[in-house]
Amino acid sequence: MLTTGFKLWFGFFVGAVLAAVFAGYTSGATETGPLSLGWKGGVGNHVSYTILVMGAGVLALLGLVAVAFRDADAKAQADFLGLDEAPPAQAVVGNSLWPVFGALGLGAVGVGLVVHPAIFVIGLCLLGAVAVEWTMTNWSEKVSDDASVNADARENLMRPIEIPVLAAAGVGVLVVAVSRILLTSSVTGAVVVATVIGLVIFVLALWISRRPELPRNTVRGVLFVGCLAVLVFGIVAAVSGEREFHHKGGGEHHDDTHDHGTDH
Amino acid sequence: MTTTDEIDSTVFEEAVTSTDPKVLAKVWGFGGMTSVLLGAIAGLLVGFERLDLTSADLLGSADEVFQFWSAHRVALVLLGVLPALMTLATTVVPRQCGANTLIFPRAAALACWTWLVGAVLTIVGFLADGGLGTPGAGGQRQATALTLIGLLLAIAGLLTATVCVVTTIISGRSTGTGLRDLPFTSWTTLVSATIWGGMLPVLAANIVLTYVDLRGRSAVRFGAEDAIWEQLSWMFTHPAVYVLALPVLGIALDVLSATTGTTQANRDVLLVATAAFGFLSFGAYAQPFFDTPGTPVMEEALYVVMAFAIVPVALVILGGVADTLRRGASNLGTRPPAETVCALLSVMLIVAGTAVGALRVIAPLDLLGTSVTGAQFTLVVGGAVLGVGAGFQHWGDDLVGGPGARPGMNLLGGLALAGGVVLIGATDLISGLLGLSDFTGVDLATAGYPGSGVDGLNIVSIVGSLALVGGLVIWQASGILHLTAAKKASSV
Repeated sequence: MLTTGFKLWFGFFVGAVLAAVFAGYTSGATETGPLSLGWKGGVGNHVSYTILVMGAGVLALLGLVAVAFRDADAKAQADFLGLDEAPPAQAVVGNSLWPVFGALGLGAVGVGLVVHPAIFVIGLCLLGAVAVEWTMTNWSEKVSDDASVNADARENLMRPIEIPVLAAAGVGVLVVAVSRILLTSSVTGAVVVATVIGLVIFVLALWISRRPELPRNTVRGVLFVGCLAVLVFGIVAAVSGEREFHHKGGGEHHDDTHDHGTDH
Repeated sequence: MTTTDEIDSTVFEEAVTSTDPKVLAKVWGFGGMTSVLLGAIAGLLVGFERLDLTSADLLGSADEVFQFWSAHRVALVLLGVLPALMTLATTVVPRQCGANTLIFPRAAALACWTWLVGAVLTIVGFLADGGLGTPGAGGQRQATALTLIGLLLAIAGLLTATVCVVTTIISGRSTGTGLRDLPFTSWTTLVSATIWGGMLPVLAANIVLTYVDLRGRSAVRFGAEDAIWEQLSWMFTHPAVYVLALPVLGIALDVLSATTGTTQANRDVLLVATAAFGFLSFGAYAQPFFDTPGTPVMEEALYVVMAFAIVPVALVILGGVADTLRRGASNLGTRPPAETVCALLSVMLIVAGTAVGALRVIAPLDLLGTSVTGAQFTLVVGGAVLGVGAGFQHWGDDLVGGPGARPGMNLLGGLALAGGVVLIGATDLISGLLGLSDFTGVDLATAGYPGSGVDGLNIVSIVGSLALVGGLVIWQASGILHLTAAKKASSV
């Protein structure tokens, strides 16, 4: 018996083929062109014809798959698996960071294509990391039936890689951001900024260390806001550009970012 | 690091890491409806500019008017109605199929966030003097490129979500639920998703072609600023625009059936009619940019036949709706629910849109380049927005997770929205018959002929735009109040 899915998609396939042939003949095709996919003559409006024929091909494939797998009905699945009842098609999965980071990576790749190659590369790195992490997460969920055992399996494998890599990346980003802020400030301003940032970090760390009862979320919030502030100021500073550097003994001015030792 | 539920999560972490379709539906829903509101505001600004076509008083130049005009259409379709439909497709549809959840929930989360990132980039691109090109080539090329990239990401998100939804409908159904037994919302979503899967990749290919040429030293043809919109315009006109309406017809059939307490008669006829409506919505072939010399695609027989063929199909579906109402009217009482009114109005607007679409392709009337195109767009997309709203109202408690709906506000917003759509659509239709171009620019030469009465109609259109924006604001407020009330109820 023909399934409903087959009827739907095969019907669409027939419609698309008829539409392609009709479009061909009514837009200047030769007698045999539309019937022979352009092999024996012109097909008229080739864009319309090609899109409709390609669509027809995909729809035919969908129809054939639908009828071959009996519309993937639960009963057909159970019969195929030799069970009385088909298992749920999808197990409920827990929360995951990777989709949102994947989207951010795609966004960075897109923005990087338009704005700057460095952002493009950062996006690619992010996508690569997400691909690895997502794969490992999925692998670990199939290790056993016990979620905690699965989580341990993943932790044992990935933590020795994640922690050093994330720490190095985090420190690197913060160092670059702070260096941009210092290079944008005036000579005296840079000293003031460095002193203030150092003092703020010291005082906050002291304050947190004296209050072990502080909720974990508060500590994480403070760290998040602090890192975000340094990052935002760093980006703003990078966009503003560095201060002007002067060479000793000359009136020449230029923005030499590698000549930090000679500024005064 | 694997999953955030291993540790105590903050509300923010919970929101961005969740793979629960109900949580993601809030992003789709509020994001989509906010885009619809932004699109309506862009349309309102263009409407104000139309009041005095001798100069650009509000938006600065003809190019800016064009940017807002194209932003209006993009925001309504790709950033508005389609994502709003995804709200229902990812939450209501799995439940109707008997699935325990959406299949590929993490891919669905990736789709949602990718769409959001793309939508933000698109809006930033428009605001940074980019958009989809300008007739006078006065836009910023980099911002235009950013808009195109944003649209690509938005399309990627929508396509990924479409795959998750279709897979759920096909292989997630419970035992005994065949495709033929699906409720109409799920059935029309399956048909629409098939068409989206065929059309959105073609649109993405158009955008890639445009982007590659735009980023070269000087655009050869596809990326020329005055050619970008023409290349992508097929997505925002007949027949592609109907694909937004199809799931809404299914929503209307389900809502009316539920609120009247009657089962749909002639079910198989309606299944075939909705499938035919879907087939007739496939518009990727109708690309005027690639016209064969001498045979413009909009004047080709297939295009004209499809425009006429969809009218009786839409009337069959309207007949099904009317039949349900006739048999169950007594159950509605004296004050029918807001979702019933909105669903009925949405179907009527869509049917009116198909009739205007048929009128538009009658060759002797020469209406293809006129604002009749805008009228058809407004009626169909306006009907789709109204129908999505009806769905939100009907399944609102499930979507936001608790009681607290505001039926009065929903009805008021729906009526304002429908009134606005009718006023804009009717004035655009009459203006088009009087010779007003679809995009007027800011000079009288493209705005019809002096004394044509178009100026007076533009004032009526402004009133319609204000009503439309007002209705959408009321709906947004109603949604936020519902969400707040549901949160309070769940915390108690």
